[in-house]
Amino acid sequence: MSYLLPHLHSGWAVDQAILAEEERLVIIRFGHDWDETCMQMDEVLAAVAETIKNFAVIYLVDITEVPDFNTMYELYDPSTVMFFFRNKHIMIDLGTGNNNKINWALKDKQEFIDIVETVYRGARKGRGLVIAPKDYSTKYRY
Amino acid sequence: MASLADSFLADLDELSDNEAYPEEENAEAVGMDEDGGEDMLDLESLNYDDLDSVSKLQKTQCYNDIMQKVEDALQKGTDFSNQGSILEEDPEYQLIVDFNALSVDIENEIIIIHNFIRDKYRLKFPELESLVHHPIDYARVVQKIGNEIDLTLVDLEGLLPSAIIMVVSVTASTTNGKPLSEENLAKTIEACERALTLDAAKKKVLDFVESRMGRIAPNLSAIVGSAVASKLMGTAGGLGALAKMPACNVQLLGAKKKNLAGFSSATSQFRVGYLEQTEVFQSTPPALRTSACRLIAAKSTLAARINSIRGDPTGKAGRNLLEEIRKKIEKWQEPPPAKLPKPLPVPDSEPKKKRGGRRLRKMKERYAQTDMMKLANRMQFGVPEESSLGDGLGEGYGMLGQAGSGKLRVSAAQSKLAAKVAKKFKEKSYGSSGATSGLTSSLAFTPVQGIELSNPQSHGNLLGSGTQSTYFSETGTFSKIKRN
Repeated sequence: MSYLLPHLHSGWAVDQAILAEEERLVIIRFGHDWDETCMQMDEVLAAVAETIKNFAVIYLVDITEVPDFNTMYELYDPSTVMFFFRNKHIMIDLGTGNNNKINWALKDKQEFIDIVETVYRGARKGRGLVIAPKDYSTKYRY
Repeated sequence: MASLADSFLADLDELSDNEAYPEEENAEAVGMDEDGGEDMLDLESLNYDDLDSVSKLQKTQCYNDIMQKVEDALQKGTDFSNQGSILEEDPEYQLIVDFNALSVDIENEIIIIHNFIRDKYRLKFPELESLVHHPIDYARVVQKIGNEIDLTLVDLEGLLPSAIIMVVSVTASTTNGKPLSEENLAKTIEACERALTLDAAKKKVLDFVESRMGRIAPNLSAIVGSAVASKLMGTAGGLGALAKMPACNVQLLGAKKKNLAGFSSATSQFRVGYLEQTEVFQSTPPALRTSACRLIAAKSTLAARINSIRGDPTGKAGRNLLEEIRKKIEKWQEPPPAKLPKPLPVPDSEPKKKRGGRRLRKMKERYAQTDMMKLANRMQFGVPEESSLGDGLGEGYGMLGQAGSGKLRVSAAQSKLAAKVAKKFKEKSYGSSGATSGLTSSLAFTPVQGIELSNPQSHGNLLGSGTQSTYFSETGTFSKIKRN
């Protein structure tokens, strides 16, 4: 379902996408369209893009085509979802220890909508770190 | 032509007069006999009901007049078309109007002949007139059946619908009619032939009117076609009459009475007249035909009014109205727009602020601090307070109970809210005042005077309200500390 979402093909385009939005949350998925994990994540993103279009916008970035952010954001996972609001990276405490991104395929649409709503509320209040409504620490058992 | 029409109308009036007053007719007959039969025409009309042969002559005369008028009109029409466009509209329009009147007269004559046939054939088959309503269909069926007893030998295919044929056959097998005599049968068959001939003549007139419809009513023909336009004008009685007619009446022009033969009318088609034969109506889906019929009738009426004042001889207005009809019918067939998913609202909603107001004041009043707690929270200067456990332990009582009476009870202050509640329980208050306890006696002993009556209310008054036992009470004084 990645063909239903807009793609960004250069580092400049990513910067402009984050800068241009004044009112809405910018959600960027870093990965590859052909990757299995990204396919599952893109299914959820494409399904909820229309529902959350009033307060969030979703873009897709190919990390091979745009390698500028790989070192900066440590984009080494198959799928990485990050949140930006007014040119500021919003961190989220999901319980996984990594507060910068969602680096697995989130399969529930309502869970993703809840996370986006929480991030938006915190970002509007000026917070750089928000706590997710659900704890995902059981994803890792070590 | 006018003289012929006048004579025909006069004959029609005489016929109706004969039907209305039979007794006067006999009286006039006697009078005429005395005169010696001076007026042959009146004598023939008077003998109409008595002699069938005379009615035949009367019919024949009217019929010959009609046929002569039709032939003359057709010849004149041909002459005008041969001549060209000189004075073409006005004479032809007058001709069309006369033909419309003629078709109405033919229709009336057919009805009269139908009544004659029905009266004659009722002896043979009384139920047939209730099964076949149309005069021309009735004449054809009577001509076909004749004097036949067994109707299975008669082939009515093509004359009536199959259901009606079945009902007629079944009814004929149980009818109580008797065969007609040769004389009556011959008269009936002749009347049927005359009715059919009149119907053919009427069709000839309508064909002529239809061929001229493109010039007489171009806008109406553009919408409904020239055939339906000529039928509408013929039924309405002319273009002027059609223009004066409301659209809901135009919708029902030409609607025939539906013969259901006892079947349910729940599934039968609604009544539609000549507009059912238009091309626009036939190309409409069946579910939308009711609305389409109303729409076509409304636009046809507008077009007829344009034509009656000769507003647009080219028919452009009619074509515009037809295009409008097509667009509307096409619009009805469009599906409703798809329902799009509704996006979520922006989730930055804060709780609503609470301002003052009546409700908030009532809430504050209900949960306000009581006078007892106010006294317990205060300390009198220089006087140690009592406590629940003694010697300063436990909860301190502050100024509570230090007014001199030694009691901890404080009379409740009268508030607006309590006053309303007190009204409800006013009837239930009984006994002594609430300020005194149940253990107080009205007798007090003093060492000086012995037995003395004391007023318990006086102590209550000291504690009338919480504020009086505070710093500003009458019994309160400045404390003196004696130096030992």
